Amino acid sequence: MAIEDMAFLIPVLPALAFVLTFFLGKKLPNGGAIIPIVAIFASFIISLMITLNLLQNPEQVISQSYNWFAILNVGILIDPLAAVMLCMVSFVSLLIHIYAVGYMSHDKAQPRYFAETALFTAAMLGVVLSDNILQFFICWELVGLCSYLLIGFWFEKPSAASAAKKAFLTTRVGDVMFLAGIILLFSDIFRIYNGSIPEGVYVLRFDEIFTHIPEIAALNTQIFGFQVSHLTIVTLLFFGGAVGKSGQFPLHVWLPDAMEGPTTVSALIHAATMVTAGVYLVARTFPMFVAAPYSLLVVAYLGAFTALFAATMGLVMNDIKRVLAFSTISQLGYMMLGLGMGAVIGITAVGDSLFHLINHAFFKALLFLCAGSVIHAVGTQDIRQMGGVRKVMPITFATMLIASLALAGFGIPGTSIGVSGFFSKDPIIEAAYLFGESTENWMPYIFSIVAALLTSIYIFRLIFMTFTGKPRTNYKGHESPSVMTVPLMILGVLALVFGALTKTGFGKFLEETFTNNFVNMDIHALAEIGKYHLASHGAGGEPLLILWMPVIVAVAGLLISYLIYGMRIIDMSGIVSRKNPIYKLLYNRYYQNTIFTQFLAVKVVYEGLALAGRAIDRGFDWLVDMIGYIFTEASDGLRQLQTGVVQNYATSVVTGVSLLIILVKLILEVF
Amino acid sequence: MIPLFYYLALSAIIFSIGLFGFMTQRSGIRMLMCVELMLNAANINLVAFSSYNADLTGQVFALYSIALAAAEAAVGFAILMSIYRVRDMIDLDKINVLRW
Amino acid sequence: MIRMLNKHFTVMQILTSVYNFFRPRIAGMIIAILFLAIVLISIGFTNWNTVDQLPQNPMDQSNIQGIGMLIFTDLVVPFEILSIVLLSSLMGAIYMAKGDGTE
Repeated sequence: MAIEDMAFLIPVLPALAFVLTFFLGKKLPNGGAIIPIVAIFASFIISLMITLNLLQNPEQVISQSYNWFAILNVGILIDPLAAVMLCMVSFVSLLIHIYAVGYMSHDKAQPRYFAETALFTAAMLGVVLSDNILQFFICWELVGLCSYLLIGFWFEKPSAASAAKKAFLTTRVGDVMFLAGIILLFSDIFRIYNGSIPEGVYVLRFDEIFTHIPEIAALNTQIFGFQVSHLTIVTLLFFGGAVGKSGQFPLHVWLPDAMEGPTTVSALIHAATMVTAGVYLVARTFPMFVAAPYSLLVVAYLGAFTALFAATMGLVMNDIKRVLAFSTISQLGYMMLGLGMGAVIGITAVGDSLFHLINHAFFKALLFLCAGSVIHAVGTQDIRQMGGVRKVMPITFATMLIASLALAGFGIPGTSIGVSGFFSKDPIIEAAYLFGESTENWMPYIFSIVAALLTSIYIFRLIFMTFTGKPRTNYKGHESPSVMTVPLMILGVLALVFGALTKTGFGKFLEETFTNNFVNMDIHALAEIGKYHLASHGAGGEPLLILWMPVIVAVAGLLISYLIYGMRIIDMSGIVSRKNPIYKLLYNRYYQNTIFTQFLAVKVVYEGLALAGRAIDRGFDWLVDMIGYIFTEASDGLRQLQTGVVQNYATSVVTGVSLLIILVKLILEVF
Repeated sequence: MIPLFYYLALSAIIFSIGLFGFMTQRSGIRMLMCVELMLNAANINLVAFSSYNADLTGQVFALYSIALAAAEAAVGFAILMSIYRVRDMIDLDKINVLRW
Repeated sequence: MIRMLNKHFTVMQILTSVYNFFRPRIAGMIIAILFLAIVLISIGFTNWNTVDQLPQNPMDQSNIQGIGMLIFTDLVVPFEILSIVLLSSLMGAIYMAKGDGTE
């Protein structure tokens, strides 16, 4: 049996596990955790085999399509891009499932938890191996649903329920944009074919879309006096979906609140997999973005801004998971920035960004799992009440330290020494430098460097405040059971060495996604359409300072953090107070929550829309009332005829009969 | 020889008298009487057509309808007695609880 | 009425009493006369498809025998049903007229 015949099992097995766990979970130990673990392990093995096969034979892309109805299809597509995502998703999901056996051991609703995470894994794998944008969207929505269910897993807590609602509604804004993009794309391709689609052509398949990029780019629409290419509109709408899912700047508000869910959920969905779906979407449709004017620049600027913006808020959070949530947003901004750098370095950007995505998945899942371990032991999420956890949880401390180093990006440029984050973040920052060099626009580079400094500061603040010093409250900590620490160690090893091991092969492997396989894209020709000027030379050849810059800022951040929180040499009490406006601004997350709820929700939606709605409502009300009024009045008059007196009825009958006869007679006579 | 028209005219006149009484009288008994008048006007028609068509079925039916009229009158008067017992009068235009 | 007939019997009074009888019933009268007129006109202008004259049988004017034969041959089922109707109406009438015995 060839491996490609088993490819469809990758999402189907977790989906089956969902059904089985849902119905049988109560009767099995640990809420039936064994079912999804086995299913996802099988998915992981299949994904790994496919990936290894692809590494050796890059042309053996798995592409299977089946007619769904009319001109739409279902199918799977596993090219290098999908393959690495499949491996990452199934692997991280597997580890987190194993970890959750320990973490969720005290929860009564274990079967529900494992069923929902299994469904999530199935949906996420479905997103990754979709071969058409519609199937992608369906799985994308399913992923969002699982996210909603799992954020609200402890729905008895009002904060969890409202956080789930918030996450769902906020991502919905993006999803609606995504759907609008799909609809526009569909109608455009329909128009290109003049409405008659040949037999066997599935209009929303990725290869079909990509072959029509030049024609879609040629379609224009007048918007505010500007000729805007349809491709730009479609890609920006897609990016809107990605913004919602990946927590980029205007729609990031749901991600910190999503931490109300179990920590394992945060690790799986809101750090490693689901939030990267937006990045994956942009990477998947990268040829469209390259060919669309302005789109990649929007991606780049928004990514850079989000990276910095979220990092500033991460500085002041006291909730261990919130810090990590902002860190996730910031790192997702890096990934978006990396993709946006496709404006300069072309297809290499996908490799850079996805490399960071994979590494981030490992170290951020690790960070979350460590945080979960700490929370599990200490019983609080507030880092001000921790301190000195290192002594009771040595394994957790070690793995968390590795993850933090990976997040901050420590390493030595030019060698193979470094943690995984170093090898993936560096190319993005270097690409930003290249971008600045070629366009004289240094904003992305400066933002990414400052964000790197802040990243280092906030993550070591977390480390110092949690693990070092003396306990600030009385807690009874203990090291987590081995079912929790073993996944930590596995992830720790990966966070440490994955980047160094794969730094050369990964980018090349991913570049084959769009060059040799499945569709043969000439990225330079596409960039011509998009009016981007690709740099003639790749990364490298920058001044030594630029190469060292990310490491310098990382070390500087570590030092600053150590001075403030480790040694307590610099006294922060003057700065960390509610009176400091900057602190207050950051602590209140730039008041964005307030703006969203107080202004957008209350003023615009409640009062503005409600007023308009009330006017319409009253109008219809009046109409309906009038119709009802007319009929009640008319029937009120008519029912007076029902006197209840038999004679009156007889009179009416006789009169009626007489008149009828006269009438008939008249008609017969006259005509 | 009496033409058919005379029978029919007689029947129509009796029917109209019954109708007039039914529409104008208040007392239940009078109304029942008027109903009987109308019924018998119909019977006259039946017999007249029966004779002129040389078919005895019509006359048989006239007999039947007379019997039915008896039954109807029996029930009607029983109802009127019940009404009288409850309301102490048989003015049917006052019995209008079925009004709107 | 009797006294009126005896002592003050004038045409005027008869007319007056007739008028007094019909005055509140003028609507009903109009409708009844209208109906009568319509029926009479209809009857009069209809071409009845019947024999001109009654079938004459001077020897035996009675048709009781024929009716009897008809009742007990062709129309025996309606006859039986009629008997049931009569019986049930009789029972119903008795039941309703009897009252509950409290008086």
